[in-house]
Amino acid sequence: MSTDSSKLNRIRRSLGLETQNEWPSVVRERLGTYALLSVYLVVIWFPIYYIFITSLKPTSEVLSLPITFFPQNPTVGNYVDIFVNRPFESYTLNSVMVATTTTVICVTLGTLTGYSFSRHDFFGNKTLLLSIVGARMIPPIALIVPFFQIMANPPLIGGLTGSLYDTRLALIFTYTFFNLPFAVWIMKNYFDGVPESLDEQARIDGCSRWEAFFKIILPMAKPGIAATAILAFIFSWNEFVFALVLTSSEAAQTLPIAVSLFVADDFVDWAHLAAGGMIAALPGILFGLFFQQYIVSGLTQGAVKE
Amino acid sequence: MSTEKQTLRRILDRLFVPLTVGPTLLWIAAIIVYPTAKLLISSFQFRNPVTNEMEFVGLRNFRRLVLAREGGSATFGVFSPEFVAVTKNTVVYVGCSVTISFLLGLGIALLLNKDLKGRGWFRTAVIVPWILPYVMSGLMWRWMFQADFGAINGLLQQLGVISGNVPFLSDGGLAMIALIIADVWVFTPFIIIILLAGLQNVPEQLYDAAEVDGAGRWSRFWNVTYPFLKPSILVALTIRIIFDIRALDLVWVMTGGGPGKATEVWASWLYRTAQVFNSPGPGAALGVVLLAVTFAIVAILYKVFGESPYEA
Repeated sequence: MSTDSSKLNRIRRSLGLETQNEWPSVVRERLGTYALLSVYLVVIWFPIYYIFITSLKPTSEVLSLPITFFPQNPTVGNYVDIFVNRPFESYTLNSVMVATTTTVICVTLGTLTGYSFSRHDFFGNKTLLLSIVGARMIPPIALIVPFFQIMANPPLIGGLTGSLYDTRLALIFTYTFFNLPFAVWIMKNYFDGVPESLDEQARIDGCSRWEAFFKIILPMAKPGIAATAILAFIFSWNEFVFALVLTSSEAAQTLPIAVSLFVADDFVDWAHLAAGGMIAALPGILFGLFFQQYIVSGLTQGAVKE
Repeated sequence: MSTEKQTLRRILDRLFVPLTVGPTLLWIAAIIVYPTAKLLISSFQFRNPVTNEMEFVGLRNFRRLVLAREGGSATFGVFSPEFVAVTKNTVVYVGCSVTISFLLGLGIALLLNKDLKGRGWFRTAVIVPWILPYVMSGLMWRWMFQADFGAINGLLQQLGVISGNVPFLSDGGLAMIALIIADVWVFTPFIIIILLAGLQNVPEQLYDAAEVDGAGRWSRFWNVTYPFLKPSILVALTIRIIFDIRALDLVWVMTGGGPGKATEVWASWLYRTAQVFNSPGPGAALGVVLLAVTFAIVAILYKVFGESPYEA
């Protein structure tokens, strides 16, 4: 009996329960936390909900009062319209091609270079790494003028390609500019976390440096590669400023540009803009929901580790 | 194994670093160093309207944009009124949105760092705004703030806060506030991600020790959390500020710098300038200014925050 009551008291104390009628402070705090987070989530998700239901409303309902927060006659008509009346299949294809190619280039070069920076001391490696990282600080928008000049009249390869203005190639070149330094940096930090003894063991077992890298280390770096690839893809997919400067037709314009084209000087076609916006946002939402841990680890590898 | 094969292996091994680092360096030289050099050169040039040749004009591009033009009016001593106005807008925009999103992000990060059921789910839901295309987010907020059919006007009227439609985006002050709200919405998740990662570094025992010592909530944060969080705070603030200074997307699709010049910031001014003149010079000059400001801000932030005492 006495042991029972002391046990009970211990549990009560551990719950922060002072008297029997009081809510345990731990529980109260937890409920408060849930309440705050829920309010926050409702507020930040409301605009996404609103643009989503706008995309399901016919224009007549979008432009009528009072505003409806549940669509009266939900329809996918806007989504059909933008593929029928506007070249959204071209925009989507451009976005997919540009983002995918940029990602492949950045991940390939970033992985190889990041590994060398992580493992080898070579001439000026500290300075080189520092300047690669420093390149991330250059504001891309500061370079719109030279990038326009270069793409309109490319040096060295200009004789072969002619002007690269309004081509996907121009966007791919440009997007590697802010993604490649980032990729090198994330992968370098990732390889730093892979024990060097693994390389040494492989070398003792008779592997060449290349074999040790491709057979032993690379398979271990898969999570780092996934994080780099997802971030490079998202950054390229979402990019707007260079696409605005370097493209002018459906030959190369990407989805962010396509969405902005619904804005005319005196009229905005909100219903169709919302549908286009949802398509442009889809990869981001999917990546965010399913690969959140890669995005977080990539960002923290890339940003926090100094 | 034949000796030729072994020699080949040895040569390939010798070439490991050049072959893995070389292509990246060449690529970076082509795509970063060359354009940056071209930017610096262009900023001192102007296209001669008669011969259509690029001519060296010294500091004229800087003078006509940033500094008071010869014989023109000047504010703050040497700077042109336009530069001062745009700089003011940029400082208000960046200052308010960084401060608000930092405090909000810190609060949410502290909540999410608690041992909660469904924490992963909350984190996922919190991050999404940052991953969406900025253009989509900007247009989404423009639609939210729209004067006749926007959700914010609708909500405020249904709640009885306002009686008539408020044209948020055609009033200078309100447009800036709308822009800041959109910016905070987009970038707070970034702060949360970085600070949450930093909070993982705080040793749990220190909290227990502080609790035993009877430290209050505030004292625990200041004496235990903050010193460990400082490097993350520095990174979050640095990236947040320099990315906000360069950000064109939101401003361009929400207000286009208007009404009038009420929300014109450096990025939109640069873009407009690069388009208006039939010469790359002036836009390049503003690019150089932006570059210099960015590096100066990073230097100042690192000077002010310095190194964390806990970093060995």
